[in-house]
Amino acid sequence: MQPINRRLFLFSALPLPFYAAGPLQVFTAEEARIVEALCAQIVPADGLPDGKGPGAKEAGVLYYIDRQLAGPLGRFAPRYKAGLGAFRQLLELTFEAQTAALEQLKGEQAAFFALVVDHVMQGFYGDPAHGGNLDEASWKMIGIAGQAGGHHQ
Amino acid sequence: MKLQRVDVVVVGAGGAGGIVAEQLALAGHSVVLLERGRAQAFLETGHDELRSQRTTVLGNAFGPDDEHYVRLVQGAGGTWNKVLPSEGAYNNIAACVGGGTTSYGAMAWRYMEQDFHLRTTYGAVEGSTLADWPITYQDLEPFYTKAEWEIGVSGQAGANTFEPPRSKPYPMPPLPLNKEATQLFQAARGLGWHPFPIPMAINSVAYQGRGACVECLHCVGFACEVEAKNSTAVTVIPRAVATKHCELRTGCVARRIVTDARGRATGVEYYRGKELMEQPCRMVVACCSATETPRLLFNSASKLFPRGLGNNNDWVGRNLQGHAYSGAYGLMAQDVYDGVGPGARVACCDFNHGLGDGLKGGAMLANEFIRLPYLFARNAMPPDVPRWGAAHKRHVRENYKRTVAVQGPVQEMPMFESRVELAPEVKDAWGIPTLRISGRKHANDLAVGRVIAGKAEAWLKAAGAVKTWQKLPGAGVSGGQHQAGTCRMGKDPKTSVVDATCRLHDVDNVYVVDGSVHVNNGGFNPSLTIQAIAYMASAKIRANLGRR
Repeated sequence: MQPINRRLFLFSALPLPFYAAGPLQVFTAEEARIVEALCAQIVPADGLPDGKGPGAKEAGVLYYIDRQLAGPLGRFAPRYKAGLGAFRQLLELTFEAQTAALEQLKGEQAAFFALVVDHVMQGFYGDPAHGGNLDEASWKMIGIAGQAGGHHQ
Repeated sequence: MKLQRVDVVVVGAGGAGGIVAEQLALAGHSVVLLERGRAQAFLETGHDELRSQRTTVLGNAFGPDDEHYVRLVQGAGGTWNKVLPSEGAYNNIAACVGGGTTSYGAMAWRYMEQDFHLRTTYGAVEGSTLADWPITYQDLEPFYTKAEWEIGVSGQAGANTFEPPRSKPYPMPPLPLNKEATQLFQAARGLGWHPFPIPMAINSVAYQGRGACVECLHCVGFACEVEAKNSTAVTVIPRAVATKHCELRTGCVARRIVTDARGRATGVEYYRGKELMEQPCRMVVACCSATETPRLLFNSASKLFPRGLGNNNDWVGRNLQGHAYSGAYGLMAQDVYDGVGPGARVACCDFNHGLGDGLKGGAMLANEFIRLPYLFARNAMPPDVPRWGAAHKRHVRENYKRTVAVQGPVQEMPMFESRVELAPEVKDAWGIPTLRISGRKHANDLAVGRVIAGKAEAWLKAAGAVKTWQKLPGAGVSGGQHQAGTCRMGKDPKTSVVDATCRLHDVDNVYVVDGSVHVNNGGFNPSLTIQAIAYMASAKIRANLGRR
């Protein structure tokens, strides 16, 4: 059984975007929007396999990263503060245009982008207790929901 | 604060230290077992992939922690980089009661007869310090048997065509094959290989008062929620404490072995919190791992041993080795994932030796433990799939249950220049000088790795893989959970650190009992060999302590 995650329970009932509702610890509102844009590109929503198919943005990975940067991954916070600005232009673009822009940006900002990719994967595929993978989104996607965390007794 | 003298201080309550403490306490000797970590219950970490022993991105669930420890690791161009315990290059091994055995995958292998005389088998290897062990497989066999029965190993005696002679069967039958292992088992037979169920230090049936494995998908990297995985924390350490002759002290960080003017050990200094304690004793047994044991010896330097205790010939810290893990992934036409843990169930020893073409050694090949989602998304992608974006997500969704991995711990040729040294200018949270790691793998190991990866691909294809890709090791020094070799056992004090009883050549009351003493590390996970040596050494230490 999964322990009930209070944040997950509360936020799933809210219509607001997470960055408007959540108590962010590290990111400013604008930084949060940039991180969410990156989340959406790195693990996009695709409606699969069940018509929902949330991506990293919908699964709250912003919250995973924010919380870890205020905790065990604190040593990376300065890199986000320094690195996110280069991706601000994404906010002005459509999703498709963002994808095209990232092809260029990921080369220019290779090390920082690789770090973000890793953190997004952690948040999307890791235990919901850390703030991402809302409602076991990725575990549902691969068919192991209810098995991949918690315990089995 | 100076404490009451005891017979023995064992430093490190891990896979070896727990055994030494138990064996000496059973014989009536007073033992203090020091452990820098703490006793960890399953519920502390649960099944959180991001804080398991395999995926340490949010910290090492089983220690050491990022707040108190640091090491230097040599990078490209010779620069020394500070590395935290949760970062891969640290070459972490767990720091808790049970050590690595609390969260290990629990494969319980005997090395093969040749592994104890590789030099005789293959001749001198240029650029390597390869040597024969001062003991043979036959010398160690009774202690392998003892370890299998005392710790508890499930397996099928005689199933492995290449297994060396054994005096007793396993105490428990093997765990059943899961779906992918069943497919691989038949495929190996078809190739003319000799598959068999992997021996595991996991209860397949109730044993020693604890129940059988519940086959959960989390195994390697986690403590077992039903205590069916046979760590020293649930076997020998409780028995040691129950004798009332052994005191387990957790949260105690050893600073140095204290020696007298003649160079003999008189006790161990350690920090309990911020307080410096001194525990006097007749005998010291260092069981801290192949990185931390050399560090303790370096930090115990004295007038007689200016380069570190037992290190007047500069062999302490040398020959650091782990395994050059090599293998392949395969994509099956249909789902093979059944969620039946621990996952790793079938192995072949057809390629441990005799690969030909001048190659030395080899590896056991086995299917992998169940990969959890984050590690899968990062490490199990074919080379032609993007690392992120829609195509990456689609690949994960469609292939999580179709991907199978086969790999083997390629035996490494020991390298004198692959080493652990003291880094006196960098200290841990207690002000104790930390260590630094440098070195590389021998070219032989990389060449063997390519052969092993090819065999893995062949095996996967025979099992129905529609696509395969290799997983090859880097050229840098390895250590990690399988770290070994840094206090080599040998007859000649000029080219080894301890004798065949695990005693320092130069100090008659200090022993090293952990992977450090391995001359080479076999093509296998090393824990059972470390534990067999711990039983062997315990018998010698007992004799040295005299009757009580």
